Amino acid sequence: MKKARIIALVLLIMLVAFGFTSCKKEEAAPAPAPEEKEAALPGDGMIAAMATDVGGLGDKSFNDGAYGGLKMAEELLGTEARVVQSKQQTDYVPNLSGLAEDGADVVFAVGFLMDQAVNEAAANNPDTLFAGIDIWSNDASPENFMGIVFNEHEAGYLAGIVAGLMTKEYASASDKLNDENKIGVVLGMFIPPVEKYEVGFIAGARSVNPDIEVLSATAGDFVDQAKGKELALAMIEQGADIIFHAAGLTGLGAINACKEEGVLAIGVDVDQNSTAPDTVLTSAEKKIVQATYLAVESVIDGSFKGGTRVFDINDDAVGISSFHSFDSVVPQAVKDAVDSAIADMKSGKVTVPTTRAEIGL
Amino acid sequence: MEVLAQIFNTELLVATIRLSTPITLAAVGATICERSGVVNIAMEGMMIVGAFTGLIGAMFTGDPWLGLLFAVLAGGVFSLLHAFATVSLHLEHVVSGAVLNILAFGIVRYMMVMIFGHPGTTDPIRFSLKNYQWAIPGLSKIPVLGPIFFNQTPIIYFSFLLIIFFTFFLKKTKLGLHIKAAGEHPLALETIGVSVYKMRYTGVFISGMMAGLAGAYLSIENAVSFTEGMSSGRGFIAMAAMISGGWTPIGAFIASLFFGFADALQVRLQVALELSIPEELFIILPYVLTVVAVAGLVRKSRAPKADGVDFMIERPE
Repeated sequence: MKKARIIALVLLIMLVAFGFTSCKKEEAAPAPAPEEKEAALPGDGMIAAMATDVGGLGDKSFNDGAYGGLKMAEELLGTEARVVQSKQQTDYVPNLSGLAEDGADVVFAVGFLMDQAVNEAAANNPDTLFAGIDIWSNDASPENFMGIVFNEHEAGYLAGIVAGLMTKEYASASDKLNDENKIGVVLGMFIPPVEKYEVGFIAGARSVNPDIEVLSATAGDFVDQAKGKELALAMIEQGADIIFHAAGLTGLGAINACKEEGVLAIGVDVDQNSTAPDTVLTSAEKKIVQATYLAVESVIDGSFKGGTRVFDINDDAVGISSFHSFDSVVPQAVKDAVDSAIADMKSGKVTVPTTRAEIGL
Repeated sequence: MEVLAQIFNTELLVATIRLSTPITLAAVGATICERSGVVNIAMEGMMIVGAFTGLIGAMFTGDPWLGLLFAVLAGGVFSLLHAFATVSLHLEHVVSGAVLNILAFGIVRYMMVMIFGHPGTTDPIRFSLKNYQWAIPGLSKIPVLGPIFFNQTPIIYFSFLLIIFFTFFLKKTKLGLHIKAAGEHPLALETIGVSVYKMRYTGVFISGMMAGLAGAYLSIENAVSFTEGMSSGRGFIAMAAMISGGWTPIGAFIASLFFGFADALQVRLQVALELSIPEELFIILPYVLTVVAVAGLVRKSRAPKADGVDFMIERPE
């Protein structure tokens, strides 16, 4: 009697659980073939496709960025953009492989969660090229897979220049800034890309403001908003007036703290201005659109090759977002400093450090 | 010395309250639940359900107070699954709790994709309960104590009141005494004509509502958006607080304060000290202290006798 009930319950729960996660694979209709153009474009007749991660289109983040890159390639290079949305992690391999079987010339996977899936799909479809955004290629990766990663420290460096100048020299530009000459950086977990952001940020700030004090603290988590908020509040209490975060979703708490306390925040990875338009000064950005576009271009011109490709400032694939409503607040001198830093990095005059050891921390 | 003053100040204590409140609420809820005889390891899942529902409510009605109501109700309703499984179906309590934790995260992920089109995080809301922070006139001017206890946001005030209420509830009210009896000697309770099932359902329901409130604190008071996983283990820390607090609301509160203090302290140490100590050592500090506290206090605290013990009664149909 009792046993039967337990079994009934377990079955019920399984039923509910499966009901909720049941695979609803919706394939977005392939975009209509581009109309006949007057001049033949180099990518005519080629297909550049992507499978989203579970974030899907509309995430205002990496998926939208990659899709933007494919659309840009469609516009400028003539390749056909195709996208398949993944509803769950078990869709990754079939979606990626499916695109390859349907004749795509290059298939993009988005986000480090697709790491294993894209490697598997690439191994199963050796005649198709695969690329993974924010995924490193490893020793076991097949030859037809290219990892696309970014020089986070270069984006951090530019954000650091903005923060370093704004917090001291141009503190009068906004009533959210004070004269303490302190800024802060909130980290998620201390892993290499986060360290690169942090070190680049500190180096950038010091390059324009040698006396600056940069407070740094780690949450140990990428989703805990409350912790991110506490770290930021503790920094603000010490006098920090601009806080950069490299903390994923934990950083949303830090931005919220800045908003509540009336100081400025700098976002990360994507343009985060919409999170808090009157608080987010700019964002240290990985320009996914640009990187995806360049990867498609490399397929057409034949320079696509296996391994990891690091996109950097020379590709214009890292940088800072527009200032949005702060455009009138940020003095031209700061914008010029950013432009000249970009030029210096491109010319090799400045090499941005990537580890704490290099900047004496 | 200057560094010490930067770390040990009133703000440290205010941060302690901010960090401990969600744990306190869940720990007090879990205390009531276990006093009724049902082990509840699903506080984490109920918290995340509350946090999500609270944000949805606040977003679509535009009123964070309605969001708060949604969160409490959703936590309560979700917890009824646990009551149904453990009390009516006599399922092992820990198994049901573990399943509900997984189910909660699954449901939330599914609803995120359904409503927002993507998992991860929601859009921010315009008005949160933080906008209703209230400095009690007069009292909030008291040095140190004023900012800590009398200039707070709504759910923090609620948590103070609820600790007092549940202490009184367990000691003085008939319902509270019946709930305690269900966890100590259910057969005796049934013998005097009070349904153990009902008492245990009540205990679980209260814990669900408290977890929902804790979730609402995270999403619509302390933050302005929901992030998957934002409870970040607080439901489990609440279990530890409940145990070190000796299964009493006041004890749970003190234990939660202790954890919150350790957490607030490590945050300040990280920010103020420029030592090259790996940050992981700071981050684990509150957890290490919790383990020590639980290990040290657990011998002195006594669990309700029938905690986690199934109670089955064959009624003539």
